[in-house]
Amino acid sequence: MAEAGRSVEGGSVEGGSVEGLSVEGLSVGFAGVRGRVQALDGVDFAVPPGGTLGLVGESGSGKSTALLALLGLLGRAEVAARRMAFGGADLLTTAPALRGRQISAVFQDPASALNPALTVGLQVAEPLLVHARLPRAEAWAEAAALLAETGLPRPAALMECYPHQLSGGMKQRVAIAMALAGRPELLLLDEPTTALDVTVEAGILDLLDGLRARRGLSLLLVSHNLGIVDRLCDRVTVLYAGRVMETGPVREVLGRPRHPYSRGLLAALPRIGRRDGLAPIPGALPDMTRPDPGCNFRPRCPFAASACALPQALAPAGLDRTVRCHRAGELAHHRWPAPPPTPAAPPAGATLMATEGLARRFATMQAVDQVSLAVRRGEVLGLVGESGCGKTTLGRLMLRLAASDSGTLRFDGAMVPPAPSLAFRRRAQIVFQNPDTALNPRHTVATILRRPLDRFGLAGGNAADEIARLLALVRLPASYAGRYPHQLSGGEKQRVGIARALASRPDFIVCDEAVSALDASVQAAVLNLLAELRARLGLAMLFISHDIAVIAHLADRVAVMYGGQIMEEGPVASVLAPPHHPYTAALLSAVPEVGGRRARHVLPGDAGAVHGGRGCRFALRCPQRIGPLCTDADPPWRDAGPGHRIRCHIPIAPDRRVPR
Amino acid sequence: MGGYVVRRLLSVALVVFATSLLIFAIVHILPGNVAYAILGEYATPSAVATLQQRLGLDDPLWLQYWRWLHGVLRGDLGPSLVMDRPAGPLILEALGRSAILASIAFAIVAGGGIALGVHAATHQGRISDRVMTLAQFVFIAVPDFFWAILGVMAFAAGLDWLPATGYAPWGDGALAWASHLVLPVTVLSIGLLAHVSRLSRAAMLEALRSRYVLMARAKGMSERRVLWRHAAPNAMLPTITILAIDFGLLIGGVVVVETVFAYPGLGRLLVFAIEHRDLPLLQAGMLVLTTIYALANLAADIGYAVLNPRIRYGAAA
Repeated sequence: MAEAGRSVEGGSVEGGSVEGLSVEGLSVGFAGVRGRVQALDGVDFAVPPGGTLGLVGESGSGKSTALLALLGLLGRAEVAARRMAFGGADLLTTAPALRGRQISAVFQDPASALNPALTVGLQVAEPLLVHARLPRAEAWAEAAALLAETGLPRPAALMECYPHQLSGGMKQRVAIAMALAGRPELLLLDEPTTALDVTVEAGILDLLDGLRARRGLSLLLVSHNLGIVDRLCDRVTVLYAGRVMETGPVREVLGRPRHPYSRGLLAALPRIGRRDGLAPIPGALPDMTRPDPGCNFRPRCPFAASACALPQALAPAGLDRTVRCHRAGELAHHRWPAPPPTPAAPPAGATLMATEGLARRFATMQAVDQVSLAVRRGEVLGLVGESGCGKTTLGRLMLRLAASDSGTLRFDGAMVPPAPSLAFRRRAQIVFQNPDTALNPRHTVATILRRPLDRFGLAGGNAADEIARLLALVRLPASYAGRYPHQLSGGEKQRVGIARALASRPDFIVCDEAVSALDASVQAAVLNLLAELRARLGLAMLFISHDIAVIAHLADRVAVMYGGQIMEEGPVASVLAPPHHPYTAALLSAVPEVGGRRARHVLPGDAGAVHGGRGCRFALRCPQRIGPLCTDADPPWRDAGPGHRIRCHIPIAPDRRVPR
Repeated sequence: MGGYVVRRLLSVALVVFATSLLIFAIVHILPGNVAYAILGEYATPSAVATLQQRLGLDDPLWLQYWRWLHGVLRGDLGPSLVMDRPAGPLILEALGRSAILASIAFAIVAGGGIALGVHAATHQGRISDRVMTLAQFVFIAVPDFFWAILGVMAFAAGLDWLPATGYAPWGDGALAWASHLVLPVTVLSIGLLAHVSRLSRAAMLEALRSRYVLMARAKGMSERRVLWRHAAPNAMLPTITILAIDFGLLIGGVVVVETVFAYPGLGRLLVFAIEHRDLPLLQAGMLVLTTIYALANLAADIGYAVLNPRIRYGAAA
């Protein structure tokens, strides 16, 4: 592309950006309610021209703050640095002149980053009109070309659209086109795919990779997702509570982490094909109003020693790597402490919950379409699918929290009527995704847990004892009974949500994205808790998630949903190994994994497009479509092994039966 | 967009029809007898009966309503019994004078409220913002008639700068015309101005905290462009809704202010009609007033749709 060529040349000739981005000793302080918060404390990182750096860490690590500091958009915060320069220009003083031009940004959640009141065209063309001072017609033509470059269909028509008319993936492509309109040399990406489905995310990552190669862009990627950092970056910097813990080539750092925090992050990560217990990092972020002069990870570190109270320097550790830990060398051969073993789950019993042809329609969308599924006693059934596939609605139909249009529901052998009895409510409970909104902020933990006890008449005279038992069950101190939700961390809130579901001593719970809003180290602890509770209490679960790695970790069986229907169902190990339904294969190939780069299945058609009526729901997006048969006839269920079935027209060849 | 306007127009017609029923019902529940009101306390029963028959007051209510509605649809608002003239021209003349009062006040409320709100939002926490916040609370909390009395005492009785009451037509000279308007307009607009500026400040602050504003700044746009091109169109949406609601309050305020300042507008005409049991005049005046309110809401809805593409273009494509 001519455009791309010009940018590359422009970057190296006029910009003099041979130096790229270099940040040394960046510190940021905010005035907080409890004093000055040291959000960043002497952070160093660099992005060479054409290079890509990943800035990783959990919430509170300061990674987004670093990005806003580069743009000079931190408002009243105190920003100081020994050096913060791009292409030789001091960013502390010239950031306002550089942002939107040499340095552009793409933020998380494109739904809120695009202005709802302005057309896509105006938003993309704006930098061309304002910075490059192009006449309107030229700016419009270039904006349309940028939309085409980001892989958007029909760019001319798109220019007239408003953001609400586009899907999430399209919005993020528009945001990227908008960032490119300033003809940047450095692109800052703040969690650019976090709000997106994996198959959409994979497309965006391919796009960014391509742009980088074509335009010679440098990328600074801020993300909590180690998988996408591994996929996109050359180098990675690990941040913890405002300090750099470790920096180095991405393969090295994520493959053989040296700092205990990086090692903990990787040990907490659920991975497809690994069933051993996850190792959560105990404890919580330190108080950032009083920075620890020594190692600030010390209180949570299993390897902490007395010398860790002394200031730790970023020291070279092998080729091109630095680590802020004086014990990193001697610890290289120590294993990260294994989590306590999860008690073995009792074998699954008789069928507890069974749906037959369950269906629900919302306006023009068939959210749940003739679903027949069964969950046995003590079994965890994982339900995976992308946003809009109907998995949440199915979970609510199974609890009769939403009415079904047709189909039947059996629980413990008896039919469940549309308005179920109190006994059913007691035995079938739910844990919601967002613990921030699922707990009433005006009630104490004790009141929250007491509600179900009173409602189902379970407390007797001893509600306080029962509340203490529930808190112990989810590993929270009994003193938490008097706390309000805002006094709890995200993981603690979710534990209260689980305790509330367990209060009525149910046999079945639906976990709807129960760990999706949590940081990896906390998510690992909650997953371990769920595995343990399930083994100890013999609970059956429907575990709904968009994250196939989480499901692979916890579930016994998994059902894959698309367009309101189940595409494939079977034991986890069997579903994750070939033969696959084409959709399952695409999902698996799109998951960004640390250390594993699979061959990607690129899906045709628009994200989430569902083929209605007769035929296969996935037909419009199927890369293996065999012809009109797929859109004209309902696909048959095919047997793919013991308890494993696939709904597809493609026959399962005998050699495909053998798992590799 | 065209379909949307037609749908909204139809619903306005429906609302006006429903209010006409309501007005008719309310007016006929009011105590008092028109015939007595016209003939005076000492009228003979036979004279009253004759007059009632002539006015059709003996007919069933539905027939009276039908007759009224039929007249209104042909543009005949009925008579004013007390003044013995058609109500239409009376109302029109009073409405014109009220419209001057209301439109100046509304322009101040809308323009000034938004300008003050934007200023406060962009100077959050500074002296001007704090002073305004205090003033806003005072003007929202203290009722209009207090300012009316205070204004008359200070500027008319005390300083003698402005006339206390009345109205001067344009023909009497611009200065006389304007001087009669200053106090009523000020009293009418001050509470609503405080209200609108308070809410537009909140709307603007929310827009300025949004991610699309952060994005616009990251695109290197000037603070002025960020404010007016990116934040303002979104902040105006809730403000327009508030303006439509406040227009109703303004109409209520007109009645009070016209009474206090003896300003010969529609509000004062309505009060006159109630005092003299002039039911047809009251009916006609109320119908005109509610129709204006319904049309103001229609204007607000259309304005909202123009600014908000989600309404203009329906749901996601």
